Amino acid sequence: MIQAAATLATNIHLPNFAKGGIYQGAGKAVCVPGLNCYSCPAASGACPIGSFQSVVGSSKFSFSYYVTGTLILIGVLLGRFVCGFLCPFGWLQELLHKIPSKKLSTKKLKPLTYIKYAVLLFAVVLLPVLVVNDVGMGDPFFCKYICPQGVLEGAIPLSIMNVGIRSALGKLFTWKLAILIAVAVLSVLFYRPFCKWICPLGAFYALMNKVSLLGIQVDHCKCVSCGKCARVCQMDVDVTRTPNHAECIRCGKCVGACPVDAISFRYGLGVTGDKPAQSTQACENK
Amino acid sequence: MFKAIKPVAQVALLIVGVAMVGFGIMRGEADAVLAKAIRLCLECIGIG
Amino acid sequence: MKLSKIAALLMLPVLALTLAACSAPKGDAKDATSGDAQIAELVAQKPSSAEEAAKLYQQLLQKENEIFASDNALWEKVFLAANKDTPMIEDGKNYGDFLLDTIEGAKDQFAADELKTLKAGAQQVKEIEDKLMALEKEFPGCGSTPGEGESVDASTAGMTNGESGETKFPSFKGKDLDGNDVNSDELFSKNKVTVMNFWFTTCKPCVGELGDLEKLNKELAEKGGQVVGVNSFTLDGNKDEVADAKDVLSKKGVTYKNIWFKSDSEAGKFTSNLYSFPTTYVIDQNGNIVGEPIMGGINSAEQREALNKLIDQALAKSEQ
Repeated sequence: MIQAAATLATNIHLPNFAKGGIYQGAGKAVCVPGLNCYSCPAASGACPIGSFQSVVGSSKFSFSYYVTGTLILIGVLLGRFVCGFLCPFGWLQELLHKIPSKKLSTKKLKPLTYIKYAVLLFAVVLLPVLVVNDVGMGDPFFCKYICPQGVLEGAIPLSIMNVGIRSALGKLFTWKLAILIAVAVLSVLFYRPFCKWICPLGAFYALMNKVSLLGIQVDHCKCVSCGKCARVCQMDVDVTRTPNHAECIRCGKCVGACPVDAISFRYGLGVTGDKPAQSTQACENK
Repeated sequence: MFKAIKPVAQVALLIVGVAMVGFGIMRGEADAVLAKAIRLCLECIGIG
Repeated sequence: MKLSKIAALLMLPVLALTLAACSAPKGDAKDATSGDAQIAELVAQKPSSAEEAAKLYQQLLQKENEIFASDNALWEKVFLAANKDTPMIEDGKNYGDFLLDTIEGAKDQFAADELKTLKAGAQQVKEIEDKLMALEKEFPGCGSTPGEGESVDASTAGMTNGESGETKFPSFKGKDLDGNDVNSDELFSKNKVTVMNFWFTTCKPCVGELGDLEKLNKELAEKGGQVVGVNSFTLDGNKDEVADAKDVLSKKGVTYKNIWFKSDSEAGKFTSNLYSFPTTYVIDQNGNIVGEPIMGGINSAEQREALNKLIDQALAKSEQ
């Protein structure tokens, strides 16, 4: 599966797990598209969210053009395809969801999807810049207090292998571990709860979905309004109405579910979400 | 109407994105990222 | 389907392991018995030159620290007890005797078999110390640092796992941030204990603890110790980085020395291999690293306690 390959590519330096160290080469200056902490021993690049915070948290900068520019590029080129296929943490949630249990729907919990924008705005952008110490340095609020990926990929492997780090674990670690466990449990019950409700990276890419070159197109000439796509969609997107909705992670389940092949991926400039229904004549001309 | 300007917006964002990356590298931000990424600031990843 | 289930199931025990491993100290008992034979052998050796004596000295010191490392938790209790009851060891008194006295004084704290281990260890320390004193008499100065480049690094990352014995901090010749020359031998030997703090300019918790370190420096000055800072950005004396570092240091009111050395020197490589900051090492008068490095800020209570223990250990050793 593409997700496995992406996770491996993002975390190529596997021997470091045994060494208890991290990769220190120049590759770490480049951001990877998904949520992957650069404290992970195997990480090949830097987490965009972490990088953004570290740049704006330093006393020299209050905004990062480099990281934001990278995110814009990835957003325009791929949109939330990253979420669907390239993010290791997204893949983890899917794996956890495969564990048999009662599955709960998130359809009625749609308002929760706005939380991630708040996380992006406050924890990632504003607080590191505004809440600074006497030397002008800010904390990476998301990384420090919220991100469960850092615990899973960084804190846990490193403290297993390294006595010094293990003895440094304190209350903060306990809090973060609790978040990780909570997210894990929720992922078994719900589909991708972190992606939907908390992930600031997903929030950013969601904003870019509408202008992304990668889109999903619904051919209304073919569509028979059976509603299968919306039912199959685990991100609660009404595909026929809004195929490029901010919540769509481009997983493609709707494409496969459509009985008349009306849904397809499209790549290119100016890809519109759907062909307007007014042009019924255009349909017949086909 | 949005559909008409969409390709314009996409190209514009691509250019802006590349420009921002370049500008950021010139400002030394990429070095800042690297400096932080290869040195674990323990508090930053939620330890201690 | 099956594979993913297995993968998910595997993660749960890993999580559980970590929670359990959180506070468990590492105790290696494997060196205990073989160490006895080795110690006896070393003690019996008669070096014929100053160089051999120096080597033997180091080996004996290493064995001594292996004794402490193998029952870390127990010995820590002993050191704690030492701080409260027995006075600091006086000149000429054998460290092993000091330990035996301390153990006697604190014997209610230990179980019968723990006492046995401790007393046996202290006895070995006494033998080693006797030999060390004899060596010093025969070859005065063999206990101080060997020449540059002969230092031993326990592991490439500079972070031991509690298994190896004592390691020397790599010797170096560098400068402080005002451009004055600094030599590691002088730096360490002039002070009974040196607390070396590694940090970098954009690391918020490192900068955050600078105030605490300055306070510690003042406290240590009364005991004959010092704090020394190493900003890993300033290696090789990069002028901009040095300026930035000085700026931060002055804003935080730091007066203790901050130094740099070349990144391709042994010490420079040691520093570059550190990846976790802040990290604090405690070094005794002879340039040996005492115990494990402290990772993370020293502002949390447990880390502060650990640091104090190491400092006391170093002070006790330097009293010899």
